[in-house]
Amino acid sequence: MHGVVIESLEEYLSGALEPAAQRDIEAHLSNCRMCREEIRAMREVSQWFGSLRSEEVWEPAPGFCARVVEQVGERKAVPSFAGLFALDLAFGRRLAFASLLTLAVLGTYLVSRETRYPSGLSPEAVMAQEDSPAFDSASAQDNMLVTLTAYEY
Amino acid sequence: MGSLTGALPFPAFGCKVRAKSRVDYQNTSEGALVQRAQAGEETAFREIVERYQSKVFSIIHGVVRQRNDVEDIAQQVFAKVYVSIKSFDFRSSLITWIYKITVNECFDYLRKRKVRKLVYESDLSEDEVRRVDNSEPSTSRQVPIDATLARRDYLLKLLTRVSEEERMLLMLKEVEGYSVEELADKTGMNENTIKVKLFRARQKLVKAAQRLDRAPGLVAG
Repeated sequence: MHGVVIESLEEYLSGALEPAAQRDIEAHLSNCRMCREEIRAMREVSQWFGSLRSEEVWEPAPGFCARVVEQVGERKAVPSFAGLFALDLAFGRRLAFASLLTLAVLGTYLVSRETRYPSGLSPEAVMAQEDSPAFDSASAQDNMLVTLTAYEY
Repeated sequence: MGSLTGALPFPAFGCKVRAKSRVDYQNTSEGALVQRAQAGEETAFREIVERYQSKVFSIIHGVVRQRNDVEDIAQQVFAKVYVSIKSFDFRSSLITWIYKITVNECFDYLRKRKVRKLVYESDLSEDEVRRVDNSEPSTSRQVPIDATLARRDYLLKLLTRVSEEERMLLMLKEVEGYSVEELADKTGMNENTIKVKLFRARQKLVKAAQRLDRAPGLVAG
């Protein structure tokens, strides 16, 4: 859409344009198919908004305000998770400390388990033996299989 | 409609728009009322409810058209007003802020109602679903009673495709009938910004209509 139409679009759609500006826009629209079609589509959608207008004058039932205040009061009474910390800061601190301690213990256990290797040869060492001449014997091959099978990660 | 990539002359939209000083909502009687509510004064909050309850009810009824649910939604609106009043920053008028909360609450209600209906229908047989559809007054999947209802449902669907701000501006302009100048006063934005935002919102609506294969002109009027 061209600037000349965009500039006065709102006034044009609501029919509040000065006669001179109205003539300018209509002169442009008569020569510009793109603007003409877009304006037509926008005007049509604009007319649908009338269906969202309530013709009735609404007065709430008596006591509406009191019911709102009551609802607000109920909301305030329900404790939230964040409120747990706000209400008792010491409890929150203790909970955070306990969580960190648990994480530290768990982490230490996992790290120590990772670094502990089983006694004896590792699979990499056994595989290296494959290239040595002594590996050709049947007993050496059996040893390798036993080592690989028994190896624990 | 051709490609709408024509450059928008933004922000220098034109020289017709005169520079206006923004309304200082903080130093009005309404501003004083809000400040009292922000300080936790319950009578101030009650005054806000009483001042705007009729307007809020009308907005809700216009959008959802379910008499039984209007008060429930209005209660949610004012509960949100109460909870959020401390974050109200006086950049717009109080009614504009309440209007935005109300429109959002209405669309939230429509979305939840649609989800509830889908969940409910998933447990029913096809015949039962057909019976439910024929017994409800107005839903998105029902054949509408008349063209006005069809347009209304369709427009609500299109309005879910624009942002909350665009939806509010469109409704203030088209439903409440505010001029661009009045919108600028009420929202604290300048007139050029309002014009650009409305233009983009209208473009989105038209494009959404085209994507839904029901371009404007195809709905019976």
